[in-house]
Amino acid sequence: MRILSVDDSRATREFIRKAIDVLGFEFLEAGDGKEGLEVLQRENGKVDLILLDRHMPEMNGMEMLEAIKSNDLFKNIPVTMVTTELDRDEIQNAITKGAKNYLVKPFTQENLIGKVMESLEMTL
Amino acid sequence: MISPDEFRLIRDYIEQHCGIHLTEEKVYLVETRLTTLIIEQGFQTFGELYQKAVTDRTYTLRDKIIEAITTNETFWFRDLHPFGILNETLFEKLTADIQSGKRTKIKIWCSACSTGQEPYSIAMTFMEFTRRHPFFKPEHLEILATDISSTVLFLGKTGRYDNLAISRGLSDEFKARYFEKNGNVWTINDDIKKMVRFQKLNLQENFNHLGKQDIIFCRNILIYFSIEFKQNILKRIASLLRPDGHLFLGASESIIMYTQEYEMLRHAMGLYYQVK
Repeated sequence: MRILSVDDSRATREFIRKAIDVLGFEFLEAGDGKEGLEVLQRENGKVDLILLDRHMPEMNGMEMLEAIKSNDLFKNIPVTMVTTELDRDEIQNAITKGAKNYLVKPFTQENLIGKVMESLEMTL
Repeated sequence: MISPDEFRLIRDYIEQHCGIHLTEEKVYLVETRLTTLIIEQGFQTFGELYQKAVTDRTYTLRDKIIEAITTNETFWFRDLHPFGILNETLFEKLTADIQSGKRTKIKIWCSACSTGQEPYSIAMTFMEFTRRHPFFKPEHLEILATDISSTVLFLGKTGRYDNLAISRGLSDEFKARYFEKNGNVWTINDDIKKMVRFQKLNLQENFNHLGKQDIIFCRNILIYFSIEFKQNILKRIASLLRPDGHLFLGASESIIMYTQEYEMLRHAMGLYYQVK
């Protein structure tokens, strides 16, 4: 499995990388939406899950989500939005636009892995 | 904000479905842990979450609520004594039965195994025992590890731990002997991994199908249950144990006031229980 973390916080990406390492999955990263799309292009869409931060400078998470869902090569990749706020409208808006689910910071390793399992529809 | 009525409904729902008894001071815990779920599911209130959960026949929502509420605190060789008791007395006795042909293997059930540290600690203890008694092989021990949370079971099944998880209670000697390090990840040896089978199980449900066990670990979980559920589960555990089978509890847990079906035993500084 290949997981792409798109987040402007290096600390968050590092936390996610460590959790993904434990699962034995491959970890890819990008610091904003623009860079995230570049990674997807470079990898030819061969990514199993995108963990996408809502708030980023260059291209934010919602903009990247829209770009992903309007691209035939990327649109079926599940996206889990990552955010710092529990904003009902924001979350609903992201779900409506195609995000699979939501992860709210601060989260534990288990919260993250639970969401990864759910997004990838993994069972025991 | 969760209203008092909503809290009571959800508290009772949780107790009914996983036995966890939440007191009034846990309002904040319920509110913080379930708010994300409510928003993600598109519900407006805790009452709506409750209504959807009770009518959801797929139990998806029930499992999500339970995952959000449960706590998974664990570490290697927790309390130490249970593993000393296994190594110094119970494995001696049970393997003697194997040698005399009375049994073919030892069966141990870890009833709330979290991310696997407890069952793997038992497996490592048995491997240490076999170093002194080379006649016995890993195949002589079968450990069943169950938990209500799919996430922790998944992690346990990988047998992979980061530096923080590995540092909690594991000696350097055991790390070197039973793990392989790759970057920041420690992977448990296949010999140990093969001794443990992970399976999802809600202790509320009937567990007779697990078959008779020689030893059951039910540690640091009874504290979350009501008195009635403690009594109920201890009775069912007693009936699952083979005659003279043993039960281990957490170091701070006691069952004297809930059941008369066990005899308390002491070995060194540790306590354990034998079914009467």
